[in-house]
Amino acid sequence: MIYDIRHVTTYSYESPVSYARCSLRLEPRSGDGQELISHRVEVRPKPVERTTRRDFFGTLTESIVIEAAHRHLRIDSTSRVAVARSVPGRAADSPAWESVRDAAFAATSLGPSSPVGYVFASALVPVLSPVTAYAAMSFPVGQGVLASAAELMHRIRTEFRYEPKATVISTPLHEVFAKRHGVCQDFAHVMIAGLRGLGLPAAYVSGYLRTIPPPGQPHLQGADATHAWVSLWCGEALGWIGFDPTNDLLVANDHIILGIGRDFADVSPVDGIIVGSPKQRLGVAVDVVPVA
Amino acid sequence: MAEVTGSEAGQGDSQAGGQAAAKARPGQRRVAHWMRDYVRLPGIPDEYIADDGTPRGVWSRFFDAFANLAPSDIERRFAAADRHLREAGVTYRAPGESAERLWPLSHLPLLIDEADWQLLSAGIAQRAQLLELVLRDLYGEGRLIAEGAIPAAAIAGSAEYLRPICGLKPPGGRYLSLYAADVGRGPDGRWWVLGDRTQAPSGAGYALENRLVLSRAFASLYKSMNVERVAPFFEAFRASLHRAADRDEPRIGVLSPGSFSETYFEQATLARYLGFLLVEGDDLAVSGDRVHIRTVAGLKRLDVLLRRVDSNSLDPLELDAASRLGVPGLIDVLRKNGVVVANMPGSGVLEARALLGFLPGLCRRLFGEELKMPHMATWWCGQKDAREEVLSRLDELAIESAYGRGVPGFESNGPVLAGELPPAERQRLASAITERGIDYVGQELVRLSTMPVWDQGRIVPRPFVLRVFAAATADGWTLMPGGFCRIAEQLDARAVTMGDGARAADVWVVSDKAVPATSLLPASDSVRIRRIAGVLPSRAADNLFWLGRYLERAEATLRLVRALGTQQRDPGKGSSAMQQAAERIQRLLVAWGAVSQTSRTQVAKVAAEALRSEPRFGSALSLLRAAQRTATSLRERLSPDAWQVITEMTTRLAHEIEDDDVVVSAAELTLQELASFAGLAQENMNRAAGWRFLEMGRRAERAINTARFARQFASDEASPEDLDVLLTLVDCQITYRSRYLVGPVLAPVRDLVVLDTYNPRSVAFQVEALNEHVASLPALRETGLIERPQRLAVALRGTLITAEAAALDGKTLFSLEQDLLTLADAIGLQYFPHGPNASRPEKLTGLA
Repeated sequence: MIYDIRHVTTYSYESPVSYARCSLRLEPRSGDGQELISHRVEVRPKPVERTTRRDFFGTLTESIVIEAAHRHLRIDSTSRVAVARSVPGRAADSPAWESVRDAAFAATSLGPSSPVGYVFASALVPVLSPVTAYAAMSFPVGQGVLASAAELMHRIRTEFRYEPKATVISTPLHEVFAKRHGVCQDFAHVMIAGLRGLGLPAAYVSGYLRTIPPPGQPHLQGADATHAWVSLWCGEALGWIGFDPTNDLLVANDHIILGIGRDFADVSPVDGIIVGSPKQRLGVAVDVVPVA
Repeated sequence: MAEVTGSEAGQGDSQAGGQAAAKARPGQRRVAHWMRDYVRLPGIPDEYIADDGTPRGVWSRFFDAFANLAPSDIERRFAAADRHLREAGVTYRAPGESAERLWPLSHLPLLIDEADWQLLSAGIAQRAQLLELVLRDLYGEGRLIAEGAIPAAAIAGSAEYLRPICGLKPPGGRYLSLYAADVGRGPDGRWWVLGDRTQAPSGAGYALENRLVLSRAFASLYKSMNVERVAPFFEAFRASLHRAADRDEPRIGVLSPGSFSETYFEQATLARYLGFLLVEGDDLAVSGDRVHIRTVAGLKRLDVLLRRVDSNSLDPLELDAASRLGVPGLIDVLRKNGVVVANMPGSGVLEARALLGFLPGLCRRLFGEELKMPHMATWWCGQKDAREEVLSRLDELAIESAYGRGVPGFESNGPVLAGELPPAERQRLASAITERGIDYVGQELVRLSTMPVWDQGRIVPRPFVLRVFAAATADGWTLMPGGFCRIAEQLDARAVTMGDGARAADVWVVSDKAVPATSLLPASDSVRIRRIAGVLPSRAADNLFWLGRYLERAEATLRLVRALGTQQRDPGKGSSAMQQAAERIQRLLVAWGAVSQTSRTQVAKVAAEALRSEPRFGSALSLLRAAQRTATSLRERLSPDAWQVITEMTTRLAHEIEDDDVVVSAAELTLQELASFAGLAQENMNRAAGWRFLEMGRRAERAINTARFARQFASDEASPEDLDVLLTLVDCQITYRSRYLVGPVLAPVRDLVVLDTYNPRSVAFQVEALNEHVASLPALRETGLIERPQRLAVALRGTLITAEAAALDGKTLFSLEQDLLTLADAIGLQYFPHGPNASRPEKLTGLA
């Protein structure tokens, strides 16, 4: 499957901003069952400085500096990505979850794909005993990691309410968990917290989801959004497998990966600091269009 | 006032040593008397009494000399030490507290003999180098992990393992510039390492201060004991930070979390002693490939940052996004080799207890030798054998977090002792260790060794922890001979922090031979002559300006209080003209927020409230407190004398005052102290930019207040009594009388108070001074045009030169006051960091 993706981020400020320094993580990655064909980012106003590097997690990170006074910032990202993943069934054979945990603890690499980097609490995902206990109900002794994680994902999908306005980026995990509602990002964080509490390596994935319009209706421009889900290391043989708790789906060819990290803080697509206006309005529009 | 604290060597009191022989007997009896309750605790080594029950050599020498001091002399010296600490404002802040506490210094030093110190320093130097090499590998090649010498999980669990630092070559070539270890004497009599400090070790500045105080209080004793000096250590450390920079005469800053940090005082001490700038994140800006400091002369490149801010807070763009203590873009500058940060961000990863058990193996592997110094036996439960060992001996061990503070799942900041837990909790701990062993370590319980501590006329044994410091220098690791010693008040001490009310002690490394006093003075031809200490950071300028304004406003308030109080004693106070004058003074005090509207019924009450009311923000006490707070942020720039004057004023006014007469005399005494602060500034401060900002604050505030006084008391309808009050308020009675043989007349009084440039209290005089200062400040633009503060100042000067006293009515005086306020604001806008020219960065909203 090949997708054309347009991802436009706009900021409007109440008063002029004289300086901005931003990090952009907008390039879909190559690997993990997808291939980047083309990618371009346009920024208005024009930055005085643009430098790119790969961060620790392998995500292309672009640093931009804007020194011209501005009230609007527009970051327009266009990508074409080919996706071809094979996904095991939920009931497929997988190692007992305890053995996955022990293998992760015994890892001998600190690299970005080593499971050991994803078993500890991170900036936005604390390990909390109530969340661990919640997750543990899906992990009876000796059960396969895949089936257990799929059940946990299913429980989050059915027991948490999706409420787009319920949370803001800074809502702490314990609050999301207590109120049992949130958005894709919150569900991903909750599932990660539960898995890590059990000692299982869980990563946060940001990206896009192809949405399929209701039959007979055209695909609406800008109707899509950025999405987030979970990647779980299921042992040496199976490797990393994507779980989307918002949709109760194992990640296949409808998901396009932008970045992988420990939580949202590692992969935030647009991040930065400005000097000037404290009041700002953010707009995000995403289009995911299958072309082939 | 910007002098740098001198060397540690004291002078004076030479009588003590000479009479040693004559006093030996009573002296020894005295020591015996002090020591009457001193016992070695069973199974725990003591510094004073050796294993065989006899006193150790260094301590005997010390107490022999100490006993030669007369008891009254000892008390006097102890009191002198305490006074110095109080007056110099040596303070710390306990975690979670906002008030600063006075530094509790034990009056006896910890003594370590040279041979013992050699062993200790060899062990510390080896350990520091080992840790440096481990960091180099962890953030570089990663062979130690790949080859299994360190389990990956033991590193990955630390919040201080910073992924953005991986693969980044540290500018300056090293990770650790300053390393500290907490050590204690173990049961076998050897020194043991209790913990490593690789992030941003604190305590070196306090050690310096302790040394200063004790060596002054016991100057001859200190001299006779052949104590190794600590100054060469600091000199070597400074030199090595200089060398790390890539240009001559680098600009070096101590990056502080701000005046609310627990150890702000010592950060200021260090900055001042080493001659570095004390900076906060807000003072710095990334521009191009470099870090710059905002100064009154614009952005200036900063070469080296000695950080006291934890790694994760250093850069909101790449590390903790919520941090306000750092510099956005700092990590990127590191990546571009544009600044040296000491210690390198991420160095704190080695403070994780999980690593302790692997160090002996790493030492053999990297150096082919054994670790010279043992540390507390520690088992990381992430490995099966160690986990089983810990579980089988759970009740004997202390369970700690493997990486940071607080045992996961248990609400305590310190270790959890399984043996003391209720059975259910103990079971919970055991199963937590079984399931997520990677989060826990078990540690042997260590009882700290004891040392002699003076306690109200007795000497008693108390447990202590010693923090020793090692700096990376051109000749390898250089140790501070001595360190920072903390003493526990309870005999059963497993951990000591200052927050627990522990005392500190100076640490004397005692040599058999005489110690050269000035061993490391640089040759004179290697020091370039300079007359100005460097650029003035905008924030320091801001603080100096406001210090000047607060002090001057306090002075004006005190003058009003004094005038009001004096008037009450005047026999003619019943006259209506005098009552009106008193009424005007009270109105002014209400307008300034010194007095509440409601208390105006009783004049005496008004005066007392204006003097020392806590809730009124405009009372003299509140203003002086504001000055003190401002001065706190200027610690490294103020001399101890200046600090002492401010402290004394606030202490005096904080005392309860009931009597009217006492109000007047307290106001008078405080006015005298303000004059002595002004004198210190005038006589002792270098005429550099810092002095100018202090002066501008004072001059601007005085001009504003004087104009306001003139408007109140020299209006067209002013009575002779009003004019008389005005002359008193601006201290011009004598001048006026010497010029005019009549009582106060409107136009001559106005001229003297507002327009007379010969009168140092007139508005015109202040404006002349402001003009001179503003003209000599650096211009920020290169257009050649006059900048706004100067434009305003010149215009004001013109107005005052051409004005005539008779025409100075209320309206004219009011607009003069407004123009002065505008000028003060313009100076702030032009030079201070929080103006619109350099506002605070705001975080962009993230995506949901």
